[in-house]
Amino acid sequence: MKSLLLRLCFAAALLLASVSGASAADSKLVVAFLPKSKGNAYFLSCKAGADKAAKELGVELLFDGPTDSNAAKQNEIVENWITLGVDVIAVAAENREGISTALRKAQKQGIKVLTYDADAMPDARSFFVNQATPEGIGYALMDEAARLLNSEGEFAVITASLTAANQREWQKHIEARLKDKYPKMKLVAVRPCDDLKDKAQSEATALMSANPNLKLILAICSPGVPGAAEAVKQAGKTGKVKVIGLGLPNENKRYVHEGVTDSVILWNTGDLGYLTIYAGIALAKGELKPGAKSFKAGALGTFAIAGDNILLGKPFIFNKGNIDQFDF
Amino acid sequence: MKRYFRELSVVAALGAVLLGLAIFAPAFFQPQPLLSLVTREAPTLVVACGMALVIICRQIDISVGSMFSVCSVCAGLLAARGWPLALVLPAAAALGAILGAVNGILVAGLRLPSIVVTLATMVTLRQGLNLVRQGEFVNLPDSVQWFGLSQSAGQWALVVAALALLIALGVAMRHLAIGRFVYAVGTDAEAARLAGIRPQLVTFLVFVFIGVLTGLAAMMNIAQSPQVQPLSGMGLELKVIAAVVVGGVAISGGRGNLWGAFAGLLLLACVAPALTHLHIEAYWEKAIQGAIILLAVVADGVRSRKGGGNT
Amino acid sequence: MNATGKRDWNALLLRHEMLLLYVLVAEWLFFYFAGTTTNRRGVIVGFGTLDRQFDILRHSCEIGLLALALTPVILTAGIDLSVGSLLGLCAILFGKFWHDGGLSIPVAAALALGCGAIGGGLNAALITTLRLPPLIVTLGTYSLFRGLAEAITHGAITYTDFPESFLFLGQERWLGLPTQAWLFLGVAAAVWVLVHRTTFGRSIRAIGFSPEGARYAGLPVNRRLALVYVLAGLIAALAAIIYTARLGQAKADAGTGYELFAITAVVLGGTSIFGGAGSVHGTLLGVAAIAVLKNGLACLPVVMRMNAAEEMSGLLTGALLLLALTVSVLPKILPTLRPKRHAG
Repeated sequence: MKSLLLRLCFAAALLLASVSGASAADSKLVVAFLPKSKGNAYFLSCKAGADKAAKELGVELLFDGPTDSNAAKQNEIVENWITLGVDVIAVAAENREGISTALRKAQKQGIKVLTYDADAMPDARSFFVNQATPEGIGYALMDEAARLLNSEGEFAVITASLTAANQREWQKHIEARLKDKYPKMKLVAVRPCDDLKDKAQSEATALMSANPNLKLILAICSPGVPGAAEAVKQAGKTGKVKVIGLGLPNENKRYVHEGVTDSVILWNTGDLGYLTIYAGIALAKGELKPGAKSFKAGALGTFAIAGDNILLGKPFIFNKGNIDQFDF
Repeated sequence: MKRYFRELSVVAALGAVLLGLAIFAPAFFQPQPLLSLVTREAPTLVVACGMALVIICRQIDISVGSMFSVCSVCAGLLAARGWPLALVLPAAAALGAILGAVNGILVAGLRLPSIVVTLATMVTLRQGLNLVRQGEFVNLPDSVQWFGLSQSAGQWALVVAALALLIALGVAMRHLAIGRFVYAVGTDAEAARLAGIRPQLVTFLVFVFIGVLTGLAAMMNIAQSPQVQPLSGMGLELKVIAAVVVGGVAISGGRGNLWGAFAGLLLLACVAPALTHLHIEAYWEKAIQGAIILLAVVADGVRSRKGGGNT
Repeated sequence: MNATGKRDWNALLLRHEMLLLYVLVAEWLFFYFAGTTTNRRGVIVGFGTLDRQFDILRHSCEIGLLALALTPVILTAGIDLSVGSLLGLCAILFGKFWHDGGLSIPVAAALALGCGAIGGGLNAALITTLRLPPLIVTLGTYSLFRGLAEAITHGAITYTDFPESFLFLGQERWLGLPTQAWLFLGVAAAVWVLVHRTTFGRSIRAIGFSPEGARYAGLPVNRRLALVYVLAGLIAALAAIIYTARLGQAKADAGTGYELFAITAVVLGGTSIFGGAGSVHGTLLGVAAIAVLKNGLACLPVVMRMNAAEEMSGLLTGALLLLALTVSVLPKILPTLRPKRHAG
């Protein structure tokens, strides 16, 4: 009985194997692209750019990541890719030290490693495709807030979660800039929204009633911006409490046009994905070597390289005037 | 009076919090923001009512958060395709009923433990939704928000609907036969069977019912904003279970009522805005919520030890 | 239930574990053939490589430990939802003792283990002295432990830069196997002996079958129960140290959601959520079945092209759990259906 069952299982396995396996033995280069969190619209728009580049270059793109921002899962996925023997791994690191162990292992096996969005330790990768430094983002957000408030008044921050590494980093630079340049502005509260738009809406409502002099809400995670905007709109405080944040144009167009959200700050995420794939393939083919000063990425043209950072350019400010030109 | 001691103690705790807020942060009580905050909790209340029934029936349903997301996204997609609200609303409720019925068949039909069944459906639904939607927002047509009413009318409508549902269910649980059946099954299914009740049928219906309520709650939530995020509803199960338990519904079944669950929900829902109003740092939030839950169960434990409770 | 009924139940159990073993073997063979390929450079890659097998083992250690911790708990008809949060809290405390307290790694680890035991002790105290339902107590401590971890670090501090000698535990191999696997196997053996070969093990099953009966039989029910939860806390703390060593960081979100995977593994392994019946080897098979599924899927070319390894593995794990449950009750349900058919 038992041996029969076993034999059956074995036969089934063989059958399925012959159907689905052994098809990857073609000669395309394989690039693996790891986001911090997979369902996040931000990374999906990066992927759209990466897909485009992969098609132009004729390479195979693997896209996988944790469904939540989870450092442990990122390591597991990278280690899986190592045993799959991909040619290039591009990573947005959730945790600098944590991921670096896995990346060094990949490099040892001859896999080319680069990072984008958030860097790992410098010795664990060849290049970092730098969309904007955390400092650049923090400063840009704080400067935009100050510009809207004429450098005085109260504001509050809505963050994804208290533990997310990139959020902490941006917040640190926001606070540093605040201290240095804008003594008349005051940060009254930092509230987490767990990356949930609904929760951001509730938090923003409470923030406005608790702080009657609140002039601006700064949301540094993408679901937080439309959530805060909806709360402001419902409170009838459009224009009195301004909303800005890091977010995607598509999720915020409606509020920008209604005048609730003043501006959304982001770099062109599609370009970030595109540039990352081009750089990765150039690395694998030996066209891009350490010490290069510039790099040409397909249709996007030439990018400057500073040290081992490939620079995408400054973060972009989307507002009423230009937001309709973007679709991501 | 003594009979409702447990519920009254939650109300007293809630009263203390509100009093503290009235003294230290009177701004909490401005009518418009308060109405908004209450409206935000209306969908949670509806799900909590269903959860109270499930727990009174000595079952549990941890798949409500995933069901909520699935119903929200599906209702949103239908609305975005131009379905009139009059059809989207029953469709959402029907979808909830179907999902609830799956749980119900597995629990009541196959006599599987509800915590494991709903754990499995929770994971399956959530990952299925992730697979299909990849986290993309659904944009809704303008007619959906506030069901086409003005904002304040819409908010009142939602709050009144949720409260009406609470009152109707609360009364039904106390005075209608079907309500008493749920208590009977939760207290002792075998005794209920001997008394002529069909326990498996009651259990099945309770699961279908929480599905319907979750579908309705999803509608009440998407009516409050012009976009649906597929993640919405994440963690909802723990929120409502905690509210129900803090409100004095015994996890061992057969004891507690909806009024207590309502008070428990208000108490827990107060924590986050209260911290904001009292300008306390956010990182204490989870610890405080955990402490409230533990305090409530410890109170239950102490009381039943003293022989005061009717476990 | 008389003696015959009990023997039937045992036979059923045996069958459940054997079935799970078939599933595991079939899974493994399937992925071995379908998930192993030769890449451009002519190197064999994918699921079939030894490296991959070791990675699977390495990644399963923490969830495996939590599942081992939960097996005795569920055998007593209890549950512990707080193990994942306790893992996070212990990881933070371990980092804090070492980094801020200036203690050496072994001392910090010992203290963290002590804190784990205290955390488990808190659950135990509430459950036994007040006779509260474990589900609710541990739901409370689930929030509390995670909340404390966030409060201690303000959510912001991440402890890193652990010494190489400590990271060896999580990232290197020792005697051929990933270092932490030895700890995991040791704990597995210890828990197996405890559950299957001692009077303690018998008594927790007895408590799971009927706490009142066990009490009348003169068993110190409260003390046994307390010990089970303290043990769970201790093992969660050990998992915290291994987790920290594997990732080289201690952060307040460590182990989020692990409790669900661990419970799934235990139940998949055939332990009844109503207590009394189940086994440690079943749990180990459950952990393995989930780990192989998850890692194997990520090696399948089809799934890779769909970019859906994460979601597919969650979906299939849920489905597998439902299937296992249904299969486990079929022998009980079918006889009750047949008479009805005759009657109708």
